[in-house]
Amino acid sequence: MRRRLFIASSLSAALAGCSAIGTRLNDTRFHDVLNSAEPFDHLVLGTRGLAKEYAEADVDRNFRVNGFETPMDSAYATLMNGSYRAYRLVIDGAVERPRRLSLAQLRGMRLQTNITRHDCVEGWSAIGKFRGVRLSDVLQIAQPRPQARYVVFHCMDRSPEGLPYYESLNMHQASHPQALLVLDLNDRPIDADHGAPLRLRVPTQLGYKSAKWIARIEVVASFATIFSGRGGYWEDQGYEWYAGI
Amino acid sequence: MAQRATVYRHSITTRLTHWAFFLAFLALISSGLQIFNAAPYLDASDKSNPARRVLSIDSTDAHAGITTIFGHRFTTTGILGYTDDGMGGKTDRAFPGWLTIPSYQALADGRRWHFFFAWIMVISGLLYVILGLLRGDLLELILRPADIPRILPMQLYYFRLRADPPPHGKYNPLQKLAYTSVLFIFAPLMILTGLALSPSFDAAFHPITALFGGRQFARLWHFVLMVILIGFSATHIILVATTGVINHLRSMITGWYRLGVHDGTGI
Repeated sequence: MRRRLFIASSLSAALAGCSAIGTRLNDTRFHDVLNSAEPFDHLVLGTRGLAKEYAEADVDRNFRVNGFETPMDSAYATLMNGSYRAYRLVIDGAVERPRRLSLAQLRGMRLQTNITRHDCVEGWSAIGKFRGVRLSDVLQIAQPRPQARYVVFHCMDRSPEGLPYYESLNMHQASHPQALLVLDLNDRPIDADHGAPLRLRVPTQLGYKSAKWIARIEVVASFATIFSGRGGYWEDQGYEWYAGI
Repeated sequence: MAQRATVYRHSITTRLTHWAFFLAFLALISSGLQIFNAAPYLDASDKSNPARRVLSIDSTDAHAGITTIFGHRFTTTGILGYTDDGMGGKTDRAFPGWLTIPSYQALADGRRWHFFFAWIMVISGLLYVILGLLRGDLLELILRPADIPRILPMQLYYFRLRADPPPHGKYNPLQKLAYTSVLFIFAPLMILTGLALSPSFDAAFHPITALFGGRQFARLWHFVLMVILIGFSATHIILVATTGVINHLRSMITGWYRLGVHDGTGI
């Protein structure tokens, strides 16, 4: 119904009252036509180069909180009240060695700090200091199988309708040297509102890729069978899977 | 009265790409305003920074629309800030529903429209320029050094301060100035400032984003360029409407144009 409204009203207004045209475009095939631009955007822009790294002075000390509400369920409250000591990052799916990693184990790995700009799909930008483990290092210890093509992040937060947040990257994006599993934001352990105890940070893509409150990393050959099959919560709502633009 | 010749003025690719530009431009503006509405402010800085805010379109708790430009506040209730929601009601929203695609707030759909029609615009533009150069008729539109001293006399003629226009070919010096600057300055800048908003583009080609002053500044330039291109289009439409609208429209549909007393041909 919303699509019907949008085609009928917007096009008719923009094209000087041609409501007949609006009605003719009122089907999913037209959306398939619009969506056909995404593979070309991906092809042309891709994932190459490193996001600019900024100086300490550029950091937004009150880094903007965005996304879903901080999880309120009892499981998350228990984790938080125990200072996330009971937290285990699950890494499973198409891997040789499924893992359950504690925060202490993650902190024991090679840590990396990047001061980068977070670009939201809404249009705003903020600069944060992110310290954490390289996603590629974590994947390496689980040893993805040859069929692995995507890394899916299952999160603890839910939409107002109760749908879980999730996101995905392809193996190339996941191996980017600035793709971090973030433990500290602006020199402090990441707090609940910013995705504690672990969030993703992918500075070459829009903010919705940088999933918060990560519970599980699933390595898959395809995400077609996960939720609505488009590779992420916002992707399932119509946003591009390729979030580089 | 002198015999006025009818000439074949616009090639088939010029006519097709012209109407592709027209459709794509409408779709890009209205989907672009939809995208703007998701963060209805523009900052002259790399990251978002309220201290460097140039434009914001906001609303108050009392449902007044407030537009702030360089710190000057204007009440714009009903037009900007608090306006039609695209579904028959009113809401807190920068640009009104009748100006955006989709008419109601829908960032994901607005982006899909924008990025699809951006490709239509770029492909049409490349076809127009490449085929125009190959065929040679684009050269008639490009400003040359010899045209520069004729710009002011042409403007005086438009202002009716001069009886006759300076001698010119198919396009007069002002037309050449306008089309050349749009094709080779404003349109490329429009594309580059749009790309500069992309985090992947920024990672791959950071110097270009930095050239515009960073991501938010590029967003501001992208908006300013839209205003410039709307100004160009409005001027274009006014001139078409006041200098023989039927003749102009026919020439952009069939290609055939009846020459006016001052119209020339060639370069």
